[in-house]
Amino acid sequence: MNGTSSLITLSVHLALLSAISFGGFPTVLPDVRTLVVTAHGWATDQEFANFFAMSQAIPGPNMILMMSLVGWKVAGFPGAVMSAFATFGPPCTIYYVAYRLWDRFRAAPWQDIVRRGLVPVTLGLVVASGTVMARTADVSWQAVSVTAAAAFLMLATRMNPLLILFAGGALGGLGLL
Amino acid sequence: MADEGGLAAASELAAHDSVTPVSLPALFIAFLTVSLFGFGGGLVWARRIAVDRRHWLSEADFADIVSLCQFMPGPNIVGIAVCTGAKLRGGIGAIAALCGFILIPWSVGLALGTLYLEYAQVPVLRNILGGVSATAAGLLIAAGLRLLGPHRRRPAAVLFAALAFTLMAFTKLPLLAVLFGLVPLSIAAAGIEKARAA
Repeated sequence: MNGTSSLITLSVHLALLSAISFGGFPTVLPDVRTLVVTAHGWATDQEFANFFAMSQAIPGPNMILMMSLVGWKVAGFPGAVMSAFATFGPPCTIYYVAYRLWDRFRAAPWQDIVRRGLVPVTLGLVVASGTVMARTADVSWQAVSVTAAAAFLMLATRMNPLLILFAGGALGGLGLL
Repeated sequence: MADEGGLAAASELAAHDSVTPVSLPALFIAFLTVSLFGFGGGLVWARRIAVDRRHWLSEADFADIVSLCQFMPGPNIVGIAVCTGAKLRGGIGAIAALCGFILIPWSVGLALGTLYLEYAQVPVLRNILGGVSATAAGLLIAAGLRLLGPHRRRPAAVLFAALAFTLMAFTKLPLLAVLFGLVPLSIAAAGIEKARAA
């Protein structure tokens, strides 16, 4: 019973947070931490950090996975499933409705103007998030050159990105970065 | 001018009708791949598969979807799956893409999760992950630059892309502030640009 009410609290919170997580779920992570660690003590700080590291290391829907692990900790498998739905349900509904609206007015002249204004800004942000990621990952000049080489290979060749990622992982594994 | 837009849209529609629709399993598998390969940057893979390999979307269509998703809450890459599916096959397409993205990777991830926690401290594993994240960052930068390609001849576009990049990468301003600060100005500039061209 206690597990059930904890799960409801967690799901409702996650659903609300995911609906306002502009810029991706990581922006609301501090809030989740407060809820899970500070307010309810469902997990320790160390466990929460481990959930994060793990979800980043495993390919796939990182944040959905991380929230599922929190849900698992709170209420087992049903907790994992509920948390997953709470994390992707609300944003997916919003995405779908917004895209249908956008598509409906595809031919409208105003949309072309909005698009030409919107696209450069958001793509500048994509490049910036790559840079921010690089700043966390690039602890040495070797790592910086790996980032630069990866960007160059991606731009200049048709090489499979998986090969590039593999090469980067191998260099790291050999202790060269 | 409205007629011109209408005509362009009509011919685009005709072009779409003439090709066979993308199959739902193809959507499922495409986004399963995006999910599994997308260490920290599913965008790279989504663009490669949908634009480069399958030619489902043009560079501009994809840039549209990415922009729209950035403006909305939630994990952007999930939004890219939903929007790409919706564009190609409507509601059922969105669900196919979303299931491909989540279903299998989530199950595997949850199973691996508990195992991995025990080995999280092994140094070799950490080093490999470090190398992968450094590489992934480079790939993400490249994907963003590629998508900007079609806009490179518009000075206003280059200026606003550079501004967004600088504010986000080098200041502590929150994303929302950057987005809502720059986008109205950028749209205004695009409006002026269009009025001058007309």
